[in-house]
Amino acid sequence: MMNLPAWLRGASRRRACAPRLVHRPSWAALAVALSLSGCASWSERGVTEPLHAQLSPHLADAATTLTLQRDEDAVRTATAQADALLQAPLDAEGAVRVALLLHRGLQVRLHALGVSEAERVQAVGWPNPRLSVSRLARGSERETEWSLGLELGHWLLRPWISDLEDRRLAAERQQVALAVLEHLTQVRQSYYQAVAAEHTLRTLTRWHDAADTGATLARRLEQAGNFSPVQRAREQVLAAEGQRQRIRARLAAQASRERLARDLGLGDRPEALRLPEQLPELPKQLPERPELERQALAERLDVAAARQQLERRARELGAGRLRGFVNGLELSAIRSTSNEAPTQTGWEVSFELPLFDWGGARAARAEVLYGQNMHLAAQIAQEARSQVREAEATWRGAWQIARQYQDELLPLAREVSRQNLLRYNGMLIGPLDLLADARNQMTTVTESIQAQRDFWLAQTVLDQALRGPVSPMSLNAANTSRSADAGANH
Amino acid sequence: MVSRRQLFHGAAVGAAVAATSVSRVALAALPEPVLQTKPDTLPPLYPSTGRPYQPVVTLNGWTLPWRMNQGVKEFHLVAEPVKRELAPGMVANLWGYNGQSPGPTFEVVEGDRVRIFVTNRLPEPHAVHWHGQRLPNGMDGVAGLTQPAIPVGKTYVYEFTARRPGTFMYHPHADEMVQMAMGLYGLWITHPKQPHPLISEVQRDFCFLLNAFDIEPGSATPKVMTMLDFNLWGWNSRVFPGIDSLNVRLGDRVRIRVGNLTMTNHPIHLHGHEFTVTGTDGGPVPMGARWPEVTTDVGVGQMRQIEFIADEPGDWAFHCHKSHHTMNAMGHNVPTLLGAQQEDVARRIQQHIPGYMLMGDKGMHDMTEMEMPLPDNTLPMMTGEGPFGGVGMGGMFSVLKVRKNQPHGDYRDPGWYEAPAGTRAYEWTGTAPATPRAATAPASATLQVRKPAGHSGH
Repeated sequence: MMNLPAWLRGASRRRACAPRLVHRPSWAALAVALSLSGCASWSERGVTEPLHAQLSPHLADAATTLTLQRDEDAVRTATAQADALLQAPLDAEGAVRVALLLHRGLQVRLHALGVSEAERVQAVGWPNPRLSVSRLARGSERETEWSLGLELGHWLLRPWISDLEDRRLAAERQQVALAVLEHLTQVRQSYYQAVAAEHTLRTLTRWHDAADTGATLARRLEQAGNFSPVQRAREQVLAAEGQRQRIRARLAAQASRERLARDLGLGDRPEALRLPEQLPELPKQLPERPELERQALAERLDVAAARQQLERRARELGAGRLRGFVNGLELSAIRSTSNEAPTQTGWEVSFELPLFDWGGARAARAEVLYGQNMHLAAQIAQEARSQVREAEATWRGAWQIARQYQDELLPLAREVSRQNLLRYNGMLIGPLDLLADARNQMTTVTESIQAQRDFWLAQTVLDQALRGPVSPMSLNAANTSRSADAGANH
Repeated sequence: MVSRRQLFHGAAVGAAVAATSVSRVALAALPEPVLQTKPDTLPPLYPSTGRPYQPVVTLNGWTLPWRMNQGVKEFHLVAEPVKRELAPGMVANLWGYNGQSPGPTFEVVEGDRVRIFVTNRLPEPHAVHWHGQRLPNGMDGVAGLTQPAIPVGKTYVYEFTARRPGTFMYHPHADEMVQMAMGLYGLWITHPKQPHPLISEVQRDFCFLLNAFDIEPGSATPKVMTMLDFNLWGWNSRVFPGIDSLNVRLGDRVRIRVGNLTMTNHPIHLHGHEFTVTGTDGGPVPMGARWPEVTTDVGVGQMRQIEFIADEPGDWAFHCHKSHHTMNAMGHNVPTLLGAQQEDVARRIQQHIPGYMLMGDKGMHDMTEMEMPLPDNTLPMMTGEGPFGGVGMGGMFSVLKVRKNQPHGDYRDPGWYEAPAGTRAYEWTGTAPATPRAATAPASATLQVRKPAGHSGH
């Protein structure tokens, strides 16, 4: 057996009302478990509260927004809350809350967790005693046998079962929490995509109008006899290019808006969605975050799940053999009455004889499973550390690029435009050159929007990398209309 | 007028100061270089030593004082980077001599022995060629051919006798394309030592060089690789409205000497008078070869000396007749906007470019009326204010001011001419006279005239 790394040995979070079992159940613990039978009933809070506890390190107080909406009233209440948030243009955190309130997929997940909780309650609850009545006739003899049977094995194993059920549910809850967080990351990403796409659309609409203005001027110049058809046609080509870009931008904006509506749970009424005109401001500085890898190992749900799975396997190593004996243990009280004989009373115990299967194979399986889980946990931890490093690097790089646009390229584009207007004033360049320059400036604005968007996307990826597995994000070079004006003379 | 090492008042006095202020030890050394810091037209420098002569006035320039050293006129020319105001509002980074571009005018008398110390404070080797002079071959100033180039920081001496009276130039003959694009050149006048049958005595004698720069609007240093596409056309490294007027007294015989160190020819045109070309850099023109003109073409590397009697009072335009040479920097690729209906387009452009103003759809006259913010250190394409409004000129344009009451020897600007009553064009306020018209409209209404789009080869 390999030594476990420190991060794998940490204690897992336990439900408050779970039996306080330490690693090996004792008779004292068993007694406690018996006395705590009150826990074993299903409640809405029993489903949501542990989930909120799991989510709140990542979502803060927004976590409690996610409730189990069990009827139309609950849906209406949540819709009303969401509508209040939708009154003003949505910010990213508002989008998260709206999704938690409205998204039906999250409710599906939550209800599935409710089902699991119900199964757990059932599993750890007292099994009903079995009453069997038999009536036998032999000649004139009539014999009635009453038997009240109790599955003693289950009764004895209840602390183990409860513990394992808790762990199974905790694992499932972790899966649900991860799915919720992944969805909310998707919500944030869709949000930034949609805001950026609408801003880009407005910019490219202006780009098109600038090109179309140039084409109009070129046509007038041709009508006046000042321009040749080829000069006019060149400007018209730019206008057509602008139109194509605009259509593409409109499609992109529509698609990203629909995507956001779907992710929010507004697929039935996307018109309720109101977005701000621009992405949030870039931070002036990025903090140093030397603790990120440690944080990822401490907080990532996949890492925690792997660790808990490993602990569960460790527990099964001990539990398996005993369970083999006890599992089929059944105790029955028997009362048999006969009209021709005195009433018989007695008891019956039945269990499996460990003649052939002493549980050796079972133990081996548990050990191999343990080993498998140990490697899996180590693999997940490695992935997590690498992902968070990559996500942080992308996040910083995206910030540098976006800041360069804001601090350097946009001011430069504005300066070029200012100078070009002065040059136009001196009739050193013409109005078509000015329009070409305006288009160039807008292209820079478009690239800047994309860079800003990429930063916020990278932020969501980094956040998600501290919660669970992420796929890497690549910062692709902006592919916009820079080429359109490359041949123009300005 | 501030010398870098000493102050002097009036060029004539300046010569004396320059000569007397050097110590006995220094007398044996180089003549103190006299420097000029302003682009003003200085009064004529009347000689205090040597043979007498009637001095010239260098437009927006000055004559270099000398010292006599045992019968030899000694000059000190310093080639160096300078700042030259081309017109108010624009200063160019040029190379010049003794503080200005062009360099000072040399004035000597036929037969004078001259010794010229040339100090090279440029960042590269230099050599001065005395364009048009008869001199020993080794004094001709062609780097590599007749002498080694003057190294950076060194002083070379040229010495020769001014054998031939006339108007000459001097300019570099080492990396001359760069050095001339940067503004290194000057004038040389050799006065006749005695009355000459082909050289008249004149009351006013002006001289200037034609030069051209290509300075990107918003910058200050000429592009030295430009071959033909210059955007500033100057007289003595000044452009209108920075060129001083030529102020004369009614009835004066006036001589104007014009040398061309640009890359193209310039038809120099005078209003209100006929003139005669009386000389070139080859010497005086024989009487039989002279004819009256109002425009004379000054070819590349040529000198023309024109003379006339200023007998018509007034403010007479005097300019290069290539109309784009009487403009300052303009965009050669600006489309003709004339006659294209575009008010609505202009409003759309304003949506994208706040501050945009519609120009040029009715011609360029608006440019002379509106003051628009321009790039730093850039002159308007068309500018200048006259007594009746915008003159709308630039480049090679000045005014000959002929006044009855201009004192002899006074070169100051007398102000604007006031035309006697009834001698100025006026607005007709009566009924418009019937206009004779062609019987039918021209058959083709589609033919439109416009200037060729090509802009190279001015």
